Amino acid sequence: MAQPDASFFAALDEKLSSAPNLLIGAPIVLDFERVPELADRDLLREVIGAIRAKGLLLFGVQNVTAQQRELAEAFGLIPLQIGRDAPLDKQRASAPQQSADAPSPEIKDPPRAPANRIINRPVRSGQMIVAENGDLTIVGSVASGAEVVAAGNIHIYGTLRGRAMAGARGDTSARIFCHRLEAELLAIAGLFQTSEKIGAEFRSHSVQIHLEDEKLCIERFE
Amino acid sequence: MTKTEDKALKDKAPLGKVIVITSGKGGVGKTTSAAAISAALAKRGHKTVVIDFDVGLRNLDMIMGCERRVVFDFINVIQGEARLKQALIKDKRLDTLSILPTSQTRDKDALTQDGVEKVLNELKEEFDYIVCDSPAGIERGAQLAMYFADEAVVVTNPEVSSVRDSDRVLGLLSSKTKRAETGGDEVKAQVLLTRHDQRRIDAGEMMTIEDVLEILAVPLLGVIPESPAVLRASNVGTPVVLDEPSAASRAYEDAVARLLGEEVEMRIGNEKRPGLFGRIFGRSA
Ligand SMILES: Nc1ncnc2c1ncn2[C@@H]1O[C@H](COP(=O)(O)OP(=O)(O)O)[C@@H](O)[C@H]1O
Ligand SMILES: [Mg+2]
Repeated sequence: MAQPDASFFAALDEKLSSAPNLLIGAPIVLDFERVPELADRDLLREVIGAIRAKGLLLFGVQNVTAQQRELAEAFGLIPLQIGRDAPLDKQRASAPQQSADAPSPEIKDPPRAPANRIINRPVRSGQMIVAENGDLTIVGSVASGAEVVAAGNIHIYGTLRGRAMAGARGDTSARIFCHRLEAELLAIAGLFQTSEKIGAEFRSHSVQIHLEDEKLCIERFE
Repeated sequence: MTKTEDKALKDKAPLGKVIVITSGKGGVGKTTSAAAISAALAKRGHKTVVIDFDVGLRNLDMIMGCERRVVFDFINVIQGEARLKQALIKDKRLDTLSILPTSQTRDKDALTQDGVEKVLNELKEEFDYIVCDSPAGIERGAQLAMYFADEAVVVTNPEVSSVRDSDRVLGLLSSKTKRAETGGDEVKAQVLLTRHDQRRIDAGEMMTIEDVLEILAVPLLGVIPESPAVLRASNVGTPVVLDEPSAASRAYEDAVARLLGEEVEMRIGNEKRPGLFGRIFGRSA
């Protein structure tokens, strides 16, 4: 079995000691750009465990190959396209290529209804609820330390205290709606905002969140 | 025993209800509450046993005042080194109350799911209530303590980290228990707010009851005030409800009445709060 490189952890420790308060508890994304060949499940598990053991909130990956994407998803990590480093049109450019490779049979099939999920109970700290192919509706609150993820929109009929990530497969038109906003993290199509960046005027209000020109916009319902 | 006595006993089969006292966070009052709740149940005439799942710490027998009478323990029984009857300690004050102590020297891994199930099944033949005092954390010991539960009392202090851990435990109760895994009725979970201190809440140092319940979204079983009576009782090895009456002992008695399905008004300290919680957080939920 491949061993994680000791120098990786040394570098991580150094980074952490240079800005300890900044990184602890901050959402972390693992970038695979320079390691396209890395696809060892055990190695990845160890790296993920080590990063989390240091108190970092690892939740996503970026620049992954198809194989890495599959592995990452198996570990509950979300593939993201983040910020300007990975402009959205790069993603779009790759889409037709894929369909050219393998003329997809889906074209002939009638369009499938998205697989929406409704959860009729509060989402507790430590739980993660995913709607892989549709909208996610939570009738209840999402606790601090809980995570809700959807390919489509997220609706929360309760207080959002944890993390919500809509458009997790890259849908920039996805939205998050919540009855009361106290979130730790909001993300749409990989663009995210942490609680300290969320304006005080939106706290404890009923809001919707959408993307506009690659920026997260929060709107209050009056 | 004559045949008729034998039959009369069989007709009145024990209830055999398993109640776990759990919390996630340590030091919030689980053991204190397990002792008080089991003593209050026994005082009402229900045959009750309280089991210490906190292998290696062994606090329960001290709070129950029977630490010098321990010969065999829960782990001995699980490992087949003693029979259950040999390990059970009868309380000297209440003949309806028994204690199953744990080992201070054995390893936590000595607890096995099969072993726990066997002991619980044997206890169900004899007792109405089986109260499980869970260790802190959400690891194996805590998961075994809750796994076979019918009901859960989630002990919470009015502060952020305790509430968050309780929330985590509520998630485990609804996913990592036998009831959850076999698709039966859910484990009925209620929150017991302990170490409640109105002055610290007024000073903004602690969360209000309303805030705690809003986050946890389960019924409130009771509010136990921060009280020197708790410390005094535990120092003399007496469950607080068997010591002199105090605000804390009354609060535990009320909580146990609610656990048994009685409607009792919520008292905070010595004041009554008419109807407030009843209205907002209906106990019927
Ligand atoms: N209502 C209370 N008032 C004052 N002290 C309390 C109260 N409840 C618990 N304590 C004290 O808190 C400490 C931890 O309680 P314990 O029941 O051992 O917690 P746990 O089993 O959750 O670790 C003990 O010293 C106990 O006496
Ligand atoms: Mg304890």
